[in-house]
Order: sequence, then structure tokens, then C-alpha cells
Amino acid sequence: MQTQYKNLGWNALFVLILVALGGLVFLSGKKIDYNWNWQRVVPYIVNNQASAVTAPEDGNIVSNAEGDLALESLAGDVLVDLSEYEDLLVYEGDLIFEGDRLASLEEWRIGPLTEGLIVTIKISLWSLLFAIVLGLIIGLMRISSNPAVKKLSIAYVELIRGTPLLVQIFIVYFFIGTVFDLERFVAGVIALSLFTAAYVAEIVRAGIQSIPKGQMEAARSLGMSYPKAMIYVILPQAFKRTLPPLAGQFINLIKDSSLVSVISITDLTKAGREVVSGSFAPFEVWFTVALLYLLLTSSLSWAIQRLEKRLSASD
Amino acid sequence: MTRDYQGNDMIVADKINKIYPNGCHALKDVSATVHRGEVVVIVGPSGSGKSTFLRALNQLETISSGSITVDGTDMYAKSTDINKLREEVGMVFQNFNLFPHKTALGNVMLAPLKVAKRDAATAETDARDLLKRVGLSDRMDNYPSHLSGGQQQRVAIARALAMKPNIMLFDEPTSALDPEMVGEVLDVMKGLAAEGMTMVVVTHEMGFAREVADRVLFMEDGELLVNETPEAFFDDPENPRLRQFLSMVL
Ligand SMILES: Nc1ncnc2c1ncn2[C@@H]1O[C@H](COP(=O)(O)OP(=O)(O)OP(=O)(O)O)[C@@H](O)[C@H]1O
Ligand SMILES: [Mg+2]
Repeated sequence: MQTQYKNLGWNALFVLILVALGGLVFLSGKKIDYNWNWQRVVPYIVNNQASAVTAPEDGNIVSNAEGDLALESLAGDVLVDLSEYEDLLVYEGDLIFEGDRLASLEEWRIGPLTEGLIVTIKISLWSLLFAIVLGLIIGLMRISSNPAVKKLSIAYVELIRGTPLLVQIFIVYFFIGTVFDLERFVAGVIALSLFTAAYVAEIVRAGIQSIPKGQMEAARSLGMSYPKAMIYVILPQAFKRTLPPLAGQFINLIKDSSLVSVISITDLTKAGREVVSGSFAPFEVWFTVALLYLLLTSSLSWAIQRLEKRLSASD
Repeated sequence: MTRDYQGNDMIVADKINKIYPNGCHALKDVSATVHRGEVVVIVGPSGSGKSTFLRALNQLETISSGSITVDGTDMYAKSTDINKLREEVGMVFQNFNLFPHKTALGNVMLAPLKVAKRDAATAETDARDLLKRVGLSDRMDNYPSHLSGGQQQRVAIARALAMKPNIMLFDEPTSALDPEMVGEVLDVMKGLAAEGMTMVVVTHEMGFAREVADRVLFMEDGELLVNETPEAFFDDPENPRLRQFLSMVL
């Protein structure tokens, strides 16, 4: 009871600090005479544009037995059935020429920020996939007893971790990308995968090495080959232990993906930069971009937490 | 294949030596033979090489020189598939080494499914029978973390038996157990011995050695010093080192 009251106080303090921070942001906006206008951002996320249905060729508007209108060609064929549209711009008996507007249509379209978000999701998912595969291979190479294989993986990890991602992206795009004639998107995925794989490899290695030696011995003593023992005994256990650090790495991947905007991939960050200039609402746009990243990273960590819970059945 | 081996010598170790990479000479010219259906118990002070010897018998440790023939197969012959050979040599460890991500049933079924490639229904029926045999019919769906030490070790025995081995190796199977659980594991082992399983057991349970063993081996400092019937071993030990050892443990 006592601790509950105590926690209540601390929680209240937490909320208070958050409110204060929000107020601070608001006040700083005031100080530079900034006019907050969040509506301006909305069309960049989704917008609702009217588009027109036009006549494909010349004809007449006729009504059928049910009283629904339709465009009939001069030869007498029904060209456009107008019964499915609400806002009709024509009447029965109208003479229509090719290109005339018959009806207007309201359509929800995704804005450039959402398009950027989709690119960011795509690039992150592809990179995630390749980073896991490559990281697993390099992590396994790292614990190999073959010195050549082992040193190759050490060299790889050192090389990648010792250079900035931004530089790697430029190298992949301008060097490898030119040699193999790669698209920007592919180059971005390759750079992010290579980068993340080095970290995944270290996590995988640490995870495997944290499994007691007796597990491998028990598996081998049952007649399992080394690969079978890895697949059925060691890796499932290592996977569970590496989930939290892997989650952190994948969240980094999502955030690092913003760097690919330097090679003109229109991801969320690049979309934000493009939108800012036209929107006259730079603060709102950047806050929205940050929020969208946060949405991605928090859904990923939520998904991984779910997975962790499911795997904890054997604890 | 060795499954068809009909001979009487299940394990023949001939002058085996083991020198660890750090220079430790853990086995010195050890020679021993285990016959079909025999229960051989190995005792000796800590660090005498008992585990090293046992682990050499399924090649968890490779030997530096000498030869080992198991179930009629020369273990170090070029044509020998060590994984095939290991299917016929079950091993039980001091720390159980159960797979923590599998239930008791899953532990027992894993190797039959993935190594012996038996079909799932057969593997499950066999596994249930084995767990019943070690007295765990009501614990089949428990994960190792929800089993007592004695129960875990019995699952480990069932897991080794699931591959239908001809030989069982035990490395101090009761040393990590609370005293009240030692009996249940030893009972399972006695049952196995009574059914004619060839067994090599490293243990400090002198009572088990005296009661169940056909022969008792004494190792010290990497050497096999005594290889005797339990009567001669316990009641009338000739070797002065063995006498000293027995005076300490009995
Ligand atoms: N992996 C290893 N590397 C180096 N030396 C080792 C290794 N394993 C064991 N040894 C050494 O080999 C000798 C024999 O060890 P072993 O484990 O076979 O003894 P043991 O008789 O089983 O002892 P215990 O009763 O304590 O289990 C010891 O001196 C030990 O230090
Ligand atoms: Mg030992």
C-alpha cells in the first residue's frame, strides 16, 4: 500500500516533467514567433483529391430501364456505366465529346511522407533479412576452427565497424554500384545489410558462445553432426538469448536507414526534407517525421517482446 | 554395419594416450576391454583421467596415440563415420545437459527424429515408453527447468537410450544430485544393467560398484592401476594406492 502511494507520486512527477517539456517546446516556438499549424502536415500524409471520370470517345448520355445513366457510343454500345458514381456532371440526352468530364470522384491518396515511410519500411525489411542471413554466416565463421575462415570474418567485422556507415553508403553506391550497375535502392539495401551484418555477427557469436559446452557435447554424443547440433540445439537457444541485443540492432537499422537519403533514395527523411520546403511548416514536418520513425521502432520492439514472451515458455 | 556386430568385445582400448593441448598428460598407456553385457565401474581420485577416458570412448576427446575399437569398429579408421558410431554409444553426463528449449518428450525424441530419421509417430511412441520406463510418465511435457535433478538425469538416460545404443557411458551421473535423488537414478541404471546393457560408469558410489559392477577399474594420475572383480577390488585390494584411496572414500 505504502509503495503504491510512493509510486503514484513518482508517476505524477513523470507526467509533470513531460508536460513541462511539452510546454517548453511550445514556449520556444512562441519566442521565435512560430505559428504552429499542424493541419498543413496532414495533406503530406494522406490527401483527398478530386479526380474526374472522362469520356473515352464521343457519344450520348442515355438512361436504361432502371433509370441509371450511361454513356453510349454513336454506334450504340454502352461505354461507361455511370450508375456507380455519385457526383454526376451530365444529364440524360447530353451530347458528349471525347475527353468531356462525366463525373467527379473523390479519392484518398497517400502523401509524400507516407510514400517515404513505405520506402523506409521496405529498405529496412530487405536489409534486415540480408543482415540476419549474412550476420549468421559471419558469426558462425567467427567460431570456426579453420583459421582462414575465422580470420576472414574477423577482418570483415573490424572493417565494417571501423568505418562510418555514411562512407560505406557512398562506397557501395559510387564504387560497387557503378561496377555492377546497381539501382539506388539496391545499393542502399546492400550498404545497410553489410553494415548491420557485422554487428549481428558479433551478437550471434556471443550468443552461441554463451551456450554451455555441454549442450554441443550432448548433441554430438547422440550422433548429431556439427551442423545438426547447431541447427537443432545450439542456435534455438542462442536465438532466444540474442533477441534483446538483436532488437536493439534492428532498431538501429531503421534509424540508420535515414542515411540512405544521401544517395537520393526518397525515404522518410528525404521526403521530410522535400516536404519542408513547400509546406511552410518545418517544425511540424520534422516532428511528424520523428513520430513516424518512433512508430516504426516501437512496433518492432513490441513485436520482438511478443516473440520473447512466446519463447520464454521453457524458462 | 556395426549394428550387426556379434563379437563379444564391445570396447577395446589399446595403449591409449591423451595429451591435452596445454601439455597435460591425462591418459598414459591405458588398455582395457569391456565385454558384451558387462558393467564396468571406474573409480579414482579427482583429476585421475576418468572422464577423459570415458569421453575418449565416443571421441568427445580425440586420443593422441593408441587405438580404440568400439562395437567392432576401429574408431580412428578412415572409413569410420563417427556420427554413426556415436549413435550406438549413449552418454549420460554429470550435469545432465538436457536441451532446455525442449520438453522431456522433445529431448528424448530429437535425435531419433533428426538423426535416425524415424517417423514422428514411432519416435513419439518410443519416447513415451522410455520415459515411462524411467518413471516419468507424468512429466513428459515438462521443460527441464521444471524438473528436479533426479528427474532430469532420468530424462537424460531416456534420451540416450532412444537411439537404441549398444553401449552406455555414464560420467558421474549422480554427483550433481541431492542425496535423496541419487537412489532413483541408480535404480534406473541397475535396471539397465539387469537387462544386459553394456555399461561403463564413472562414479563415486562405491555401493553401486560393489553391487552391480562385473569389474571395477582404478585410475590414478592418468594410469589404469587396477582392473578387478568387485570382490577382489573392495575386500582384498593389493595395490597400495588403491588401498589408500579406499581408506579415504569408504
Ligand atoms: N580440456 C582440458 N584441457 C586441458 N587439460 C584438461 C582438460 N580436461 C581435463 N584436463 C586435465 O586432465 C586431467 C584429467 O582430467 P579428467 O577430467 O579426466 O579427470 P577426472 O578423473 O574425470 O576428475 P574428476 O573426478 O574431478 O571428474 C586433469 O589433470 C585435468 O586437469
Ligand atoms: Mg570427471
